Amino acid sequence: MSTRRIGAITRRLLQQFRRDHRTLALLFGAPLVILALLGYVLRGGGDVPRMGVVDLDGGPLGSVLAHQIERSSAVSASGMSQAEAEARLRSGEIAGYMLLPADFSNQVQQSRVVAPEVRLEGSQPNLSAAILQATSQSFTVLAGQAGVHFTPRVSYRYGGPGFDTLDYFGAAFIGLVVFFLVFVITAVAFLRERGQGTLERLMASPLRRPEIVLGYMVGFTVLALIQAAEVLAFSLLVLHVHNGGNVLLIFLLEALMAIFAVNLGIFLSMFASTEFQAVQFIPLVVVPQVLLSGIIFPVSTEPGPLRVVSNVLPLTYAVDGMRNIMIKGADLSWSSLQLDLAVVLGFCVLVIAGGTATLRRRVA
Amino acid sequence: MSAADLAIDVAGVVKRFGSLAALDGASLQVRRGEVYGLLGPNGSGKTTLIRMLVGLLDPDAGTVQVLGRRLPDLDLLARVGYMTQQAALYPDLSVEENVRFFAAIHGHQDGVREALELVDLWDRRRSEVATLSGGMRTRCSLACSLVHEPDLLLLDEPTVGVDPQLRRQLWDRFRQMAAGGRTILVSSHVMDEAERCDRLGLIRSGRLLAEGTVAELKARAGVERLEDAFLKLSEAAAG
Repeated sequence: MSTRRIGAITRRLLQQFRRDHRTLALLFGAPLVILALLGYVLRGGGDVPRMGVVDLDGGPLGSVLAHQIERSSAVSASGMSQAEAEARLRSGEIAGYMLLPADFSNQVQQSRVVAPEVRLEGSQPNLSAAILQATSQSFTVLAGQAGVHFTPRVSYRYGGPGFDTLDYFGAAFIGLVVFFLVFVITAVAFLRERGQGTLERLMASPLRRPEIVLGYMVGFTVLALIQAAEVLAFSLLVLHVHNGGNVLLIFLLEALMAIFAVNLGIFLSMFASTEFQAVQFIPLVVVPQVLLSGIIFPVSTEPGPLRVVSNVLPLTYAVDGMRNIMIKGADLSWSSLQLDLAVVLGFCVLVIAGGTATLRRRVA
Repeated sequence: MSAADLAIDVAGVVKRFGSLAALDGASLQVRRGEVYGLLGPNGSGKTTLIRMLVGLLDPDAGTVQVLGRRLPDLDLLARVGYMTQQAALYPDLSVEENVRFFAAIHGHQDGVREALELVDLWDRRRSEVATLSGGMRTRCSLACSLVHEPDLLLLDEPTVGVDPQLRRQLWDRFRQMAAGGRTILVSSHVMDEAERCDRLGLIRSGRLLAEGTVAELKARAGVERLEDAFLKLSEAAAG
């Protein structure tokens, strides 16, 4: 063992990094960006979940409770008719509603049991939990004073009590896994082409730029589709992730995600000069999307400025689409699924055009 | 000499990279069917000129005509073979798969066997390129650049790092191809190779100092050795 030789290696490494400003920026900048985003998402004072209150009660207690929950800071509640509440639940505008039946006051006085109906949208467990908590809190004042029991009857528009965390997150992760792996593999493969000099040879051949991009796209998409099929089969058959929709629709969305990922990989590889730098796109491109696409934290409760960002991220629509299909059982007649598919398709076209345009003939 | 007889016609080409002028008004003419040597020290502009001939770079000024057509012209590239300085191959593909791929993107399906036999690699066709020696890679790279039977072959320092025996072999191939009517432009900074070219262009600091056969250049400089001729003509141009 020679400390001098060890020192030589250490020094050489640090010298290399000193020249690579980009890696340095990433090393010291990316953690701050990621943590700042996380902090902003969690503590940024975004919107609380929205819920409805349907007060059919003829007696006095109903309006007392309705006011109580409308004043709650944990949710944003507003009164509406049952038909309206059900419609908004379906479109995802509200995460749930509380229904106070016509004989609510009577019931409470006679049986000392408070039994409101709570109906939840159900596709996002964070939101459901927030609403259940806010509802029970609004009853505690009443329950403590009058000595009544609070036993809400909970029902779900989508999902249900039988759903576990995997059912909720599985849908989103199926899309994410395909996107992430395909993106990294394509970016690295394309950079290898550049690094080993073969891209220069391709450029000095009669090949057109779109031909190169399309060739790559088809090749990697074939691989990605096999991967997507595998991921899907494993999720549904082995993990038994809940699926209420058409498997072919899931596959269609996955295919679009794969095409998007391939072309994003080609496009972004133009901005990296080594495979080392390509891998650095992961914290820049992938991590923020995971935080902001609604996989873990619902987009609807993010702080306003972040929601703007979320709404232009392709993964947001892919995740929403996956949940639409698998949890809500959406088909092509649903306008929200149409939007999801259209946006992801739009992004595909965008990155294909971007990749083709930036694939300069100059390769040095 | 009419324009139709020229495989390459470069006139007053300028290419700048930032403040550096890699090509500074270079002009040269290569006739069809000849082996033309582009001779000059490192950094004199040889690679820049060759890359311009395949449209990888656009000139800032001047004109470039290849096989009678103005660049850029992608279809023209099907008739041009280009061998980069570094053996640009797919290391995880076999020799044959590499050659077949480059044939295909130039619109050719056959000729793979002929190309590999020409560079003595047919027996190693199933080997992965990653397992080949440097000299074999160079030969494989050459096979890739001529498999589509180009009318014009541009070779950027093809014999760098190649042992004398293989170098002689490669030059025999080049002469064979030229005899078959192909035009070859070879860049080099090795003087003894230059003797095997039909004509030479001496390039320095992005300009063509002189053009002619080996004998002509020696006569013009009034010296016996090509190396001396190159130095003398450089000084004359600088002075």
